[in-house]
Amino acid sequence: MFYKETGQFKSRYKDELAAFPLFEDKIGIGILGVLTFLVIPLFGLPGLNYEFAMGAIMIPCMIFIIMTLGLNILLGFAGQISLGTGAFSGVGAYAFYKFITIFPDINIIIALVLSGLVSAVVGVIFGLPSLKIKGFYLIVATLAAQFFLTWAFIRVAWLYNYNASGAIEGPNKEMFGIIMIGPQSAGMTRYYFVLVTLIVLTWLASNVIRGRIGRSWMMIRDMDIAAELIGIRPLVAKLSAFAFSSFYIGIAGALMVFFWLGAAEAESFDINHSFLYLFMVIIGGLGSITGSYMGAIFVWVVPVLIKEVGKSVFGFDAFVMENFSTILLGAMIIIILILEPHGLARLWQITKQKLRLWPFPY
Amino acid sequence: MNEKAPKIMMEVKNINLRFGGVVAIQGVSFDIHEGEIRAIIGPNGAGKSSMLNVINGFYHPQEGEIWFDGQKRPSMEPYEVAKTGIARTFQNIALFKGMTTIENVMTGRQLQMNKNIFWQMLRYGPAIEEEVQHRKRCEEIIDFLEINHIRKTPVGSLPYGLQKRVELARALAMEPNLLLLDEPMAGMNVEEKQDMSRFIVEVNEEFGTTIALIEHDMAVVMDLADRVVVLDYGKLLADGTPKEVQSNQAVIDAYLGVPH
Ligand SMILES: Nc1ncnc2c1ncn2[C@@H]1O[C@H](COP(=O)(O)OP(=O)(O)OP(=O)(O)O)[C@@H](O)[C@H]1O
Ligand SMILES: [Mg+2]
Repeated sequence: MFYKETGQFKSRYKDELAAFPLFEDKIGIGILGVLTFLVIPLFGLPGLNYEFAMGAIMIPCMIFIIMTLGLNILLGFAGQISLGTGAFSGVGAYAFYKFITIFPDINIIIALVLSGLVSAVVGVIFGLPSLKIKGFYLIVATLAAQFFLTWAFIRVAWLYNYNASGAIEGPNKEMFGIIMIGPQSAGMTRYYFVLVTLIVLTWLASNVIRGRIGRSWMMIRDMDIAAELIGIRPLVAKLSAFAFSSFYIGIAGALMVFFWLGAAEAESFDINHSFLYLFMVIIGGLGSITGSYMGAIFVWVVPVLIKEVGKSVFGFDAFVMENFSTILLGAMIIIILILEPHGLARLWQITKQKLRLWPFPY
Repeated sequence: MNEKAPKIMMEVKNINLRFGGVVAIQGVSFDIHEGEIRAIIGPNGAGKSSMLNVINGFYHPQEGEIWFDGQKRPSMEPYEVAKTGIARTFQNIALFKGMTTIENVMTGRQLQMNKNIFWQMLRYGPAIEEEVQHRKRCEEIIDFLEINHIRKTPVGSLPYGLQKRVELARALAMEPNLLLLDEPMAGMNVEEKQDMSRFIVEVNEEFGTTIALIEHDMAVVMDLADRVVVLDYGKLLADGTPKEVQSNQAVIDAYLGVPH
């Protein structure tokens, strides 16, 4: 009986309303903390080249988790579907670029928050159709946002400061005397920055979801008519979900370009990326924070590992492996969805339930 | 019943509601006294649910006035009506399926909670105090309706009778002045009906909540209601005490005479 809820009575509601009411969960979080703050930055991941482990797995994974959290808030918690995630992440990235080039002395954290806010505003504007339309029609509206914004990323040269390349690129920039972004920044610095951002954003999201505003999103998702009769204004609930979600997606977009890729063009924010993030949310599990973690990690890491193994172990051509990993990922997604339509988060829940009974399975 | 002249809480005057060619309600007027249990009965399609939908702002009648607390009410959206202290349950259960019982009941407190997004993000100080305070109230309601054992169960997996009870809990969490119940006992067995009747009477007597109730089971109506409105084909057929209505020839012909 490793994992049990019974026997840990909460005598005060405040204790029960805590983020991790179970003792076992607290231990799990502690172990994860030691791994991500000490073990991984020191030793990397087992069996993988250190640079590769940090630059191709850890940093992008954490950024994609933020992205997935953002989309999951909108899709999983508020029930509003969007295919504009890629473009909204682009809004965050271009906004960050403009902030740090227009105000070279701006603090990076402030620039990041402001970029998230710009993305939130754009998200609200393109979320307006959700007040009138649902389902397929809303998908089409967000698709229009996606195409319009990627068009703007190419055509509005002001956004990339009239660079001949058309790309946005991170200049070297310090915070508290340490180079945080740009070609001279250390991978380790960026790793810690992204890690702390991820933890803070996860904590904030889990707080909002369990409170009044999170409930208003779920009410709209589950039954919008009843929600309205209880006093929820659909306008406020839906647009706040678009805003909160786009805030996260915008921050993830800025992190993606300036803390991971180093430079990017419009195609880093295209419709394929929107689909990628959608896969992450669905595979992980709609309406689950743990699921957002699992989905992002699974969808990102599996193809990378397949490619790596194919190249280094079997000596396959990179192009062949690229296609092969895409096919394999697609197959795995279909299998997971057939086995468990509620995603990896539900599989994890079932496993926990079994652990609770172990070793007495009755 | 009290002997003083009753205070009128709500009055609908000459309501006409049409959907295209379908006339759902035709020139119906009646009132609801403060503190009473008012039953609305009538055959299927008589316009009973539509009447509740008019009262809570979901349908907007083409003609007619609604008076509430002595004032003529302007055309309102449902969320505005909710703010005036009117709560309801639905004929076809309208719970939030993805949420647990306690979460569903907590949604009834949404209007009374107001800590902003920044406190919500921190879930600290005023935000958590507010959450705890309302959680306590919801736990009391859950105790009252005897649904403690399903507190953490997702409502989608509950049997029908319990779902109806959770829906009542959610409406009670709003601490309404006027509670609209659309067939709260439909599809229940005798025992469940008895429980539900007991809760309705207790809510009415102990909290002083005014209740408007749609119900098909005549035995229940005669037992619970102070006064009864009878609708038929969208028209008002009769209005009076259960006894008066029961002995009304038009009602007997249209409704009571037909076995259900
Ligand atoms: N949204 C709507 N659109 C079109 N017609 C409607 C709508 N709502 C109700 N009606 C019609 O109005 C009439 C009254 O319906 P209502 O649901 O109010 O009846 P009811 O008395 O509640 O019946 P029941 O006992 O079956 O619940 C019916 O003819 C119904 O088809
Ligand atoms: Mg009805």
